Amino acid sequence: MTESISREVFDILARHAELDPDKVTPSTLLQMSGVDSLLMVEIIFDLEEHFDITIPDELLGMQNQELETAADVVRLVEKLIQHKKTS
Amino acid sequence: MKRVVVTGMGCISSLGHTCDDFTRKLMQGESGIGPITLFDTDGFRVRIAAEVKAYDELDFFPEKQLTKLDRYTQFAVLASREAVTDAGLNITGPEAERIAVVHGTGIGGQSTQDINYHRIYSQGIKRLHPFTVPKLIPSAGASWISMDLGITGPAFATTSACSSAGHAIGMGVLMLRAGIADVAVTGGSEALITFGTIKAWEGLRVMSNDTCRPFSKNRSGMVIGEGAGTLIFETLEHAKARKAKIYAELAGFGMSSDAHDMLQPLDKGAARAMRAALDDAGMTPEDIDYINAHGTGTPQNDPTETRAIHDVFGSHADNLAVSSTKSIHGHTLGAASALEAIATIHALQEQHAPPTANFLEPDPQCDLDYVPNKARPMSMSAAMSNSFAFGGLNTVLVFKTYNES
Repeated sequence: MTESISREVFDILARHAELDPDKVTPSTLLQMSGVDSLLMVEIIFDLEEHFDITIPDELLGMQNQELETAADVVRLVEKLIQHKKTS
Repeated sequence: MKRVVVTGMGCISSLGHTCDDFTRKLMQGESGIGPITLFDTDGFRVRIAAEVKAYDELDFFPEKQLTKLDRYTQFAVLASREAVTDAGLNITGPEAERIAVVHGTGIGGQSTQDINYHRIYSQGIKRLHPFTVPKLIPSAGASWISMDLGITGPAFATTSACSSAGHAIGMGVLMLRAGIADVAVTGGSEALITFGTIKAWEGLRVMSNDTCRPFSKNRSGMVIGEGAGTLIFETLEHAKARKAKIYAELAGFGMSSDAHDMLQPLDKGAARAMRAALDDAGMTPEDIDYINAHGTGTPQNDPTETRAIHDVFGSHADNLAVSSTKSIHGHTLGAASALEAIATIHALQEQHAPPTANFLEPDPQCDLDYVPNKARPMSMSAAMSNSFAFGGLNTVLVFKTYNES
């Protein structure tokens, strides 16, 4: 994980989940932090705006298990930033 | 209490420009959902909708009038013209004062707003057409219906997102029961398939890119539709005096608010509205045979509505046929309750439950009989139509087959 990207992602997560930014770690569980599907929609919007990326709808389904932890979100953002650079 | 009956229906939708088109395709489960053609969807995630097709406004309105008529208003007027003609209503003299117009919309003149604001914000245009304001206001539909048909009784619009037409119908019915009017021209209209509006809906992440599959396990969200529906409600005594044909009786009407969230639906709120409608109708849950569900096809709505139905109907829930016709005509928001009321009345008339189209596989969270993919002949004497709007504003209508006694 790139240090600066994960810091920025953690800050966005902390702001929405009303957590102390220093308490967010890669293993922070989103659901345990009160991130429900609606809050996730707002977080996704901020991530897209902040990093200028597009996060596909398919990743936001109810059964989606890919975004369980803060680290999952960082990995997704990194992947999409990489994708943007190469396309 | 005065009895209220339905004596006329009209609509324009993705299934066609008339009520006959609507009811025929409804029963065939022939979906009006397709690729968006009203604007270029390049760069959009959402590229499908249930558009009104083969529509040329000049076929219905003189060019000069169109500077004042948003697409949503045109639909409201066309549906109302058809409904009034269908009812054989003669609107002249003092009769006109005893007719009310209550027509809902979720947003109003959205294409007028979208196109004109684009011009000033990004195209450097310095002035807007003088009729921009009267064209975009959400009461324009009610105004134009009254002007077009010469109706001079109480007239206004209701707005409560997906329940707008439900509230319109309810207010019309209450005026009839209160003796304020003899006839209510009521329903709703919506036309919001515009570049800016669909972009905004896209942000909500509730829209399907596939199609609308209510109650199906792999449902992927709602599909926006457009159109309008108008129903003529009338006191029974007035309808009988003029020997009008009667489609059905409005048995009951219920409202509630979730007082919970702008987006997440609450089963308790939905259940309260269904119970209120049954109470108003003086019916028990066992009296209902068919429910035209709100059934948006979103992950959130469908299990919530299913739980609410279980809560209200208890063991009778397993005997009910429950379908969402949004799978066929899309989610027409401010017009939804009106189009779905027409679907519900038609079901009673034909003794057929319309299908939930595009149904693929059952979801364990949605365990009712959703009439998958094929209309079903069944005996029914009373049916319910649900509308549960964003922001938790709920309306439920109960119709029954008209009997003299």
